[in-house]
Order: sequence, then C-alpha cells, then structure tokens
Amino acid sequence: MNDTYIVSIVTFIYFFAAFFYLISLVFRKRFADGAASALLFSGISVHTIAIIVRWVRSYQLGIGHAPLSNFYESLVFFSWAIIFVYLIIMRRYKSGLIGIVASFFAFIILAYASLSGQVADHIQPLVPALQSNWLISHVVSSFLAYACFAISFGASIFYLISPRVSVLADRKLWDEITYKMVSMGFVLLTLGIITGAAWADRAWGRYWGWDPKETWSLITWLIYGAFLHARLVAGWKGVKMSIISILGFLAVIFTYLGVNYILSGLHSYL
Amino acid sequence: MINKLGIIYRAFGSAKLAIFLFFALALTSIMGTVVPQGLSPEKCRSLYSSGLYSFLDFFDIFDMFHSWWFTVLLGLLAVNLIVCTVTQFRRIYSVYLVPGRGIDDDTVFQSSQFKKSYRSDKGLSEIEGQSKRLLKSLIGRPVSVRRGGSSYLFAEKGKYSRLGVVFVHLSVLFILAGSLIAAIWGFDGRMTIVEGETSNRVFLSGEGHAVMLDFDIRCNDFTVDFYEKGVPKEYLSDLSILEKGKEVLSAPVRVNHPLRYRGLKFYQTTYGVAQKSYFLVKVRNKRTGEETLMKMGMMEKVPLPGAEAQLAIGEFRPDYQGRGPAVLGVLFEEGKPHRMFWIRKEGMFEKSKEDGNFTFNLEDFKRYYYTGLRVTKNPGMPLVWDGFLLVLIGFILNLFFAHERIWVRISDLKEGCEISVAAGSSKRREVLEKKLHKFSRKLGLE
Ligand code: HEM
Repeated sequence: MNDTYIVSIVTFIYFFAAFFYLISLVFRKRFADGAASALLFSGISVHTIAIIVRWVRSYQLGIGHAPLSNFYESLVFFSWAIIFVYLIIMRRYKSGLIGIVASFFAFIILAYASLSGQVADHIQPLVPALQSNWLISHVVSSFLAYACFAISFGASIFYLISPRVSVLADRKLWDEITYKMVSMGFVLLTLGIITGAAWADRAWGRYWGWDPKETWSLITWLIYGAFLHARLVAGWKGVKMSIISILGFLAVIFTYLGVNYILSGLHSYL
Repeated sequence: MINKLGIIYRAFGSAKLAIFLFFALALTSIMGTVVPQGLSPEKCRSLYSSGLYSFLDFFDIFDMFHSWWFTVLLGLLAVNLIVCTVTQFRRIYSVYLVPGRGIDDDTVFQSSQFKKSYRSDKGLSEIEGQSKRLLKSLIGRPVSVRRGGSSYLFAEKGKYSRLGVVFVHLSVLFILAGSLIAAIWGFDGRMTIVEGETSNRVFLSGEGHAVMLDFDIRCNDFTVDFYEKGVPKEYLSDLSILEKGKEVLSAPVRVNHPLRYRGLKFYQTTYGVAQKSYFLVKVRNKRTGEETLMKMGMMEKVPLPGAEAQLAIGEFRPDYQGRGPAVLGVLFEEGKPHRMFWIRKEGMFEKSKEDGNFTFNLEDFKRYYYTGLRVTKNPGMPLVWDGFLLVLIGFILNLFFAHERIWVRISDLKEGCEISVAAGSSKRREVLEKKLHKFSRKLGLE
C-alpha cells in the first residue's frame, strides 16, 4: 500500500484522538480519555508503518534513503515525534489536556502535509550533499526537540489562560511540564545543532557559516538557554517564563518554516 | 580596592548578565538573517537607500557576525562563562567533592531533604554492622567515624554527576576558543582545477586574494553521474598530490568525503565544463540550405552565418536521457525571445526541430571538466569537536546520573540506641525514598 495513503488514515486517527480528549475534558468521562490514548497508540503504530513503507519504497525506486529528506517527509516525522514524546510523558503527568495539544498539533501537521497542494509528497532522489548519515541523526534529534518545544508551548498557553478557564486550574502542572519539556528539548536541540554542524563540515567544508537556517537554530537555542537560566539561576517565575517559552516556540516555527519561505539559504531542501 | 574587584567579578559572573547576553545575541542575530550577509559593497548599495546603507554599513551590519561589536558580545559571554564556571566548580568541589567532608556533621539531620529518627533495642555495634552492609548494597561502601557516644556512617554515589553543568559550560568555552583560533590562524578558500591540469593556487573567500600552497594538486579525472531526471547523483574528482613534482598521494574526493592532507582539507563543491573545451556544431540554414561547421566554446555567443542570430552553448551532458552526449543550445534571434534546446549528434530533439530557421548537429567535441574544491585549514577544529563531546558528556551526567547521599548516626542509649537517618538526592527523589524505606525495613525499624 502507498505510504501517503496510510498517512491520510493516520491523520484521521489523530483527529479522533483530539476529539475524544475534548469529550473527556468537557464531559469528564474517563472512558473518553482511555479511548483517546488507545487511538494514539494505534495511530503511532500505523504512522511508524507508513514511514517504514516509504523507506522500503525508496529502495524499490532505486534511490533508497531514509524518509527524512524533503519537506513532506519532515512534516510526517515531526507529527510522529510529537505523539512519541507525548506518549512517553503521558503516564507521568496523567493529563489528557496535554494530549489535546499533542494530537491536535500532529493532526494539523499531517493534514497540511497531505492536503496542501504546496507540499510535494513524492519520493525524490538525494542530491550528493544530503547523502550522509549525519543527516539522519541531525533530523531525528532536531525534530524530537521541536516536538518537546511544541508540547511546552501548549503547556505555556494553558498556564497563561488558566486563571480564566476552570478546567486548567492546575497552574503548577503547566509550569512543571513547560520546564521539563524545555530542558529535554534543549538537550535534543543541542544534539541537533552538533550533528548538523558535523554534517555541514563534511558536506560544505565548514561546521558553521551563519546561514539563515543555522542562525535561526542558534536564536532558538539562545532563547531556550535564557529560559533555563532565568528559571534555575535568576529564579524568574510564572508569566515571564511562559512568555519566553512561547517566544522560543515562535523561533522554532520560524527556523522550520519562515527561513524557507521568507529568507533564503543553503538549507532550502527542507 | 579588593571590594571593587569583587563587585566587578560578581557582575561578570551574574546570571542577569548571562540572560541579557542570550537575548542580545538572539536579537542581533535576527538582524543578521534579515540583512543579507557577505555580499559585495556594490550589491548592498543597490539593495538599500543611501541613508539606510550608510547607517547599516557604519555598524558593519553587512558582515555583522564578524563585526567588532558582535565579537565583543561573544567575548563578554566567554568572560561571563569563565567566571561562572570557576565559581560553580569551586562551590561544587567544596560542597560535594572534598573527600571525607561532613561525615560527622550533625546539622544534616535537621536540614536534609529526607530525615527520620528511630529507636531500636538492639546494640550500637549490631546496628552499625547491619547498616554498613545495607548501605553498601543500596548505595555504596560507607565511610564511618566515631565521635562521642555515636557512630557516623556516610555513603554516596554519583557525586561526579554534579560536574555535568560544569562540563556543559566548559564546552561552550571550548567552542568559542576553537572559533577564535580558526579566525586567527585558519583559512577558507576555493580552487578550481581543469582535468589533467595541476594547480596550487587557492582563492581566499571574501578577501579576493590568493595563497599558493607549497605542494601541487593535479586533477587526473572528473566524473559525474546523473539521476534520470538530470539531477546530479554523485560527482567525484580523482586527485593527486605532488610534492616537488613527485606524486605522493592519489585519492578520489566526493561530496561528503573530503581529502585531508598536511592540515588542510579538500572538499568537492562544484564542477563545470572548462573554458578550453570545444564543440563542433553543424548549422544548417533551412531557407538557403547552407551548412556551416562552427567551433564553439562554453558560454560564448557565436554569430550564425547569413542571419541576425547568435548561438551559445550553456550546458553539457555526457548522456542526455540515455541518448548520448548533448549540449544545451541557446539561440538568440533578432526581435525574438531566446530559445533553448538540446543538440545531439543526430540533431536536435524532435519537438524543437520543426520551428525556427536553423537545424543543429553536434558533430564532434572535446570536453574538459573543471573541478571546484573548497580548501580549508582550521586549527581550531579539535577544540570545537572536544567541546561537542564535552557538552554531550555534561548532558549525560546531568540527565542520567543522580548524586545520592545517606547519612546515618547511631547513638548509644542506656537501652538500645537511637538511629538518625538523613538523605538527599540531586534528582529523582522517589528512587532514593524507596531505598530509605528498604533500609529502615531491613533494620527492623518500620
Ligand atoms: C551559551 C552558554 C551557556 C549554556 C549553553 C549553558 C547551559 C546550561 C545548562 C544546560 C544548564 C543546566 C540546566 C539544567 O540543569 O536543566 C545550566 C545551568 C547553569 N548555568 Fe548555564 N549555560 C550557559 C551560560 C551560562 C552563564 C554565562 C552563566 C553565568 C551566570 C551560567 C550559569 C549557570 C548556572 C549557575 C547553572 C546552574 C543551575 C543549577 O544549579 O541548577 N550559564 N547552564
């Protein structure tokens, strides 16, 4: 079966997961929460199969490479990473609210990948610069980092609106999730920048060249670095921290999308 | 005086400065992605009004990542980091790493994360022996000391994980130092060598002048492979290094697989068809039937006989769509938009044959590629890689290891003894809590 078809099925699974989380929130029904988690588990299994199918298919086409090398493939992996990170932290925080954020993000991203005419979903051959194992570790760690930041973004938004929305009253939880996801994301982003530097060094002959994409990843890293130090060392709290985390996620989005659409540079493949 | 130095020292070590620098670097970097970097002055002048141009130029915005003020910001970050790291290391050393410190410190039994005390009717030495064995299996071999009527035991594990943060901070210093060294003693340039030729001339990026290497490089051969759609799949130069004219090394260089030699690295970056190549093209004027043979180079316009028209060759493919060698012809005719088509030995491709006043055949050619290499020397590289390694070690220590400590004080009473337990962990308190329960259960205290 074609992987793009499987991905469109997964898109609906994530949509229904978000829907059930919403039901569980509004009507406080425990079964809905369970149903949503079950949907996410099956969703990510099918999602993983789709990624593997695409990988195999690229070899059948004679241009075999890991499915992490164009915009479509990166979107598919990004949404996979969000669900993956959510499922890991789910047990710890027991909060279906974060589940809404994760499944909704994953749904939106996949829907954009499958339905938008702008995203080419066919398997493309790799130009020589992309034929590197560093590329795989670079993309995997960067997108896992982005996934953590997406979840911390959701938690920060919840933190900010919690005084007005009674179901979100547990501010301490949002604060905690924001911090934990930012620390995890910071480590992964650091890894992503390092593997990216190693790749750039082999492919282009320099590990850092102030290319707009590189610079924006540094900007993102600096913002989250400021977040961690503001919290751990300077003792900042509350709204200020949520705002830094939201700024950080805006920088993530700009690194991922804005640089390609608005600025130009060497990274124009992804 | 000392006092003032202390204030300055503290200012440079403050977290506020760090946060300010994080934001300052982020904000200025945004500017460096909006204003294109490293263009020629003429190009920059054409992009902005003259007022804005002079303003941006005054602050070196067109090459801001190498400007004095950006370097100052990075330098401040370095100083900030040095002071922080020294302070932090001294604190960690004196609080956690000095051997034998605080074994018989009574205050921990009031101030720790976990504290409890129990009574037991067993004797001191019995409890002491049991505790030692238990601590050893739960945490690590305890040290002990006796003072007054009490026996103090202390066991810990993972104390070096406290250094994780220090490693992370040191790594940034390594990376900054590595880039400084590269900026001072390194270079970054390009060279092009035509197939069969030898060169030692490297053009430095940006500065426009060349350096001569004291050895030569010969390009023996260049090959390029295409995917079906005409995208390059792989290209490869077969290079030889010549010392005083004698070949000492010969190696293929591909994208992602650079060649190292004497502290330099050679990267395959581009390629093209060299000027000295030539193509023999037969032109037939459809109206007059006249045929002419033209010898053409790459990218030069050649007038066609008997017409207000010129032909240029824009590209060469060794095998175009599996149908043999072809060149991309660009035809400029008076009063018409230019046309492009592929020309083979057998003529043009079907659809371009009908229109226009000419037909073309590629009769013969002699094609030489040139290979484009990037040549870099970066003596700061080892420091940068060590920095990368260090930050990973730091994160691993920080994430996956915890520093766990347990203090036990056993005091002799008239009947039995009193046992005080204190404990602390740098993270994952639950794990330590479980160990404590096990400890007191096994001693028969709970
Ligand atoms: C680019 C530079 C820097 C990086 C990448 C960096 C990174 C980090 C990281 C990853 C942590 C650990 C956070 C955690 O435990 O979750 C940390 C903690 C810390 N940083 Fe930095 N840092 C930098 C610069 C600085 C500077 C300039 C200072 C000086 C004020 C500083 C002071 C501290 C302190 C005191 C802590 C310890 C917090 C604690 O004890 O938990 N850092 N830093």
